[in-house]
Order: sequence, then structure tokens, then C-alpha cells
Amino acid sequence: MERREFIIVGKAVLLLAFAVLLQTVLISQISILGVTADLFLILTVIVSVSRGSLQGAVFGFVAGLIADVAYFAPLGVRALIYVLAGYFVGMFVARFGTVSPWSVALLAGVTSFLYQLLLGIFQYVMGPRGGFFTMIGVQMLPEAVLDGLVTAPLYVLLMRTRLLPPPHLSGARFGSEDE
Amino acid sequence: MPRNKVAWRRFVFVVLIIASLAVLTVSFRETKSGPVHAIQQGTAGLIAPMQTWGARIAQPFQDGYGWLTTLWSAHKDADRLSQQVQVLQGQVIQLEEQAEENDRLKGLLDFKDKGTFPAGTDFVVARVTAKSPNRWQAYVEIDKGSADGVKVDQAVVGSTPLTGETLAGKGLVGHVYHVTAHSAQVLLITDSQSNVAAKIQGSRAEGIIEGGGDLNSSLSMDLVDRDIRVDPKLVVVTSGYGGIYPPDIPVGVVSSVGEQDVNNYKQIAVQPFLDFRVLEEVMILIVPTDSTSVVPGSTSTTGVSGTTSSTGPDGATGTTGGLGTTATTTKAKSNTTTSR
Repeated sequence: MERREFIIVGKAVLLLAFAVLLQTVLISQISILGVTADLFLILTVIVSVSRGSLQGAVFGFVAGLIADVAYFAPLGVRALIYVLAGYFVGMFVARFGTVSPWSVALLAGVTSFLYQLLLGIFQYVMGPRGGFFTMIGVQMLPEAVLDGLVTAPLYVLLMRTRLLPPPHLSGARFGSEDE
Repeated sequence: MPRNKVAWRRFVFVVLIIASLAVLTVSFRETKSGPVHAIQQGTAGLIAPMQTWGARIAQPFQDGYGWLTTLWSAHKDADRLSQQVQVLQGQVIQLEEQAEENDRLKGLLDFKDKGTFPAGTDFVVARVTAKSPNRWQAYVEIDKGSADGVKVDQAVVGSTPLTGETLAGKGLVGHVYHVTAHSAQVLLITDSQSNVAAKIQGSRAEGIIEGGGDLNSSLSMDLVDRDIRVDPKLVVVTSGYGGIYPPDIPVGVVSSVGEQDVNNYKQIAVQPFLDFRVLEEVMILIVPTDSTSVVPGSTSTTGVSGTTSSTGPDGATGTTGGLGTTATTTKAKSNTTTSR
């Protein structure tokens, strides 16, 4: 492993440790409108925006496994969804170049809603625990908004601290992302 | 790393998907003591202390946030409850008023059922809308008029709560002396211009009840001979003479009896059964014309104008008009002319 790759992996591990710490210590204690922000998903989106779909998917996989452990969920559920999220967010950014903080926040909100939707479908398939359409109003939409609002400042913070590099979009098109 | 980065990326993506599905499958298929669950529980065991510390650190902030939100909601609750209290207080007052009105109307109904009124008497219940504004006159205004069958010189009875020194709470109020289409004025028996032919039960003494002048005054009974024995606490009722008041309507009780050497008649004070200060509902007696006791030779003419002329056996006349009209009262035993 080259030094540059080592630094990239180290930063990713640092980010994950930061996410675990912040999510378990602080974020999970703060409930707004009955929901808490999902820092693992937010960081997956930010990493995908910053580093592209490949690293986003890998980061999403690891973050998803950690999230499943932290939330005592069946191992692999979030890993699967975060991999999808990381990959397709990276592809979307490469195609449309949405890198401003508010567009990233919007992207995170939409991703969060789709993630919640997939999770809801999964819950429904495994046995309904609540009204699916009720959950749209009380869980999915509020969490999508909250995740979006948390994403913007966090994205700016990570860019300013250079923990993540600015997105590199030159010549990128959907299906032909070249990093 | 392959040269084709797109293919490499897709390859990694597929591998990650497969890995996720594999972990998910193993997680669902293995028992609780399986390796994946063991790893998960072990990792969760590492995270749990962090969560505990986090909860401890966040607790004061959560408490502060909770206190602020509770404070905010407490203010809103206080405003809402204050408004509810005001509404409920209004409802309580309204219910108490209705209960009191119910009691009064029950009293009137009881009086109607148990009172001795001439056969065929009809009753019109009216609400007192105003009272005489000064102590020179004693009258009340009611909300029923000629459109309801009310006419001048009809007797009015009533019921009041038993307050103060008032005794029975049911008795004679007075008579109608002025009528409009939807209202009327009732001259109370306590008015100084009022005279009511009455008799004292138990002694059979007869005389005229005269008012003292205002709502709060007592009554006096005149024209009772000194040689007739009258004791206090005896009940005074209408005698039926004069053509206005039917007989046997309770008026009050004898409160004191006095005599003077220079006076041929006893000085009898009568405490009315009603407390006219709290009178709120009354009943107008619509008595069939042949039921009212009228002394032979007397006439009674009534009209909307409120003028009444009565003539007694001795030829004395009484003329009534509006309030303040001077009058001549016929003071003849066994004959009463109500006049003002």
C-alpha cells in the first residue's frame, strides 16, 4: 500500500471512529421531532460526494456493518443499503456535479428518505411493526429533513479541515467516472 | 488493481453487495450463538460503555432542553387552563342561575297547585324585568303584556326564596296597573297607594292592607275594630272584596297588634310572605269574570290606559291612573277599593 493510499484509508478509519463516537455519544441522545440523525449515512453520502462511488460504497459497507452492530439490527441490512447509497450518490455527483453544501444536503435528505423507504420495505417484508404510510410522516420525512440539515455544516466542516478532499469532477459522466 | 477502473469499481460494488447479502443471510440463518452474532454482541459490548458515557454527558443538556420545552409548554398550558377556568366559571355561574330560576319556578308551580284560586283561573308566568327605581314607589315591570292576555287589575302572585324575615315565600304580589303589548307594570302591595281587602284567619277580622311605600317595607292592616281579638302570627289572606284580588290568597302574617284610645281601629302590622327585593318571576292570575268576588253595586272598569274607577257601597270613589296620581280611598269595612 502506498503512502497516499495509507493516508486515505487512515482518514476513512478516523472518520468512522469519529462517526461511531459522535453517533453513540451525542447524536443518538438528541431526538428532534422524535427522530435522530444518522451520522453513518450522512458520512457515507459525504465520502461519496468527495471521493467518488467506489470509496463511498466501501465506506458505506463498513459504516453499515458498524451501524447494524450499534443499533442491534440484523447484520448486513444497513451495510447493503449504505453500499447502494454510497455507490449511486457517487455516480450521481459524477454525473450532475452537485457539490455545493446545500445541494449535498438535499442529496443527503433524498438518500435518507430512500434509505428509510428501503428499510421500511425490509421491515414490512420481515413482518410489519407499524403502519408503513404512517411511518412516512412520523419517521421517514422528519429524518430525511434532519439528515439533510446536519449534512450541510458537516460537509463544510470536513472540507475546511481537509479531512476529505474537494470533489474532483473533471470529465466525469454517468457510467464513465474515472478517478 | 485492474486497468479498467470502471470495471474494477463495478466489481467491488458487486462484491460488496454480495458480501452484504451473505452477512445478512448468515445473520438470519445462524442461531443466536453463531459467530456473526457473537461478533456483533462483542462489538456491541465495546460500544455500550461509550453509549453509557454519552448518555451521562448528554443528560444535563437533555434535562435543560426538556426543562425549556416543559417551561414553554407550561406557559401555553397555563394560558389554556386559565381560559378554561374562565369558561367554566361562566358555566358554573350560568348553572347556578339556572338552578335558582328552577327553584323559583318550582315554587311558583307549587303555589299554583296548592294555592286556593278560583276555579278556571289561568296563570301567566312572567319574568320581572325592572323594579321601581326609587323608594317613593313600589312596582315591578314584567315581560308579559296584552298580547299574552294580561290586563289591568289582574291579581299577581309570586314566590321568592325564603330569605331574611320573610316567612312562607309564596303570596300576593300586587296587581297589574299598566299594560302594553309585551310588558306590564305591577303595583306591589307594599306601595303606599295600594290597598288590599284582607282578612285575618283565625279571628275572621277584616280590613284593608296598606303598603308602606317601598319594596322593603312592611304592611299595615287598617279598619279592624278594636273589639275584635287579633293575635300575632295569624295569617292574613285576601278577602276577595273589591273585584281585583280573588279570595284566600296569602298576604302575610300579623307581626304586631296595637291600639290607641283615640283610634277606633287596631294598629296591625303585617309581615308579607314575599321578599319583594328578590322577586324575579311572578304569575298573573287570569280569573274568569264570574269567579271574582265583587261587592254588589261596585263596578270595575279596566283598560290599557290603566285607569280604574271603583265605587263602594257608601258612594266613595277611587280613581286610578298612572304612577303618582292622587287617589281617594274608600275605607269601608268589608269593602276594598284598590286605588292609587
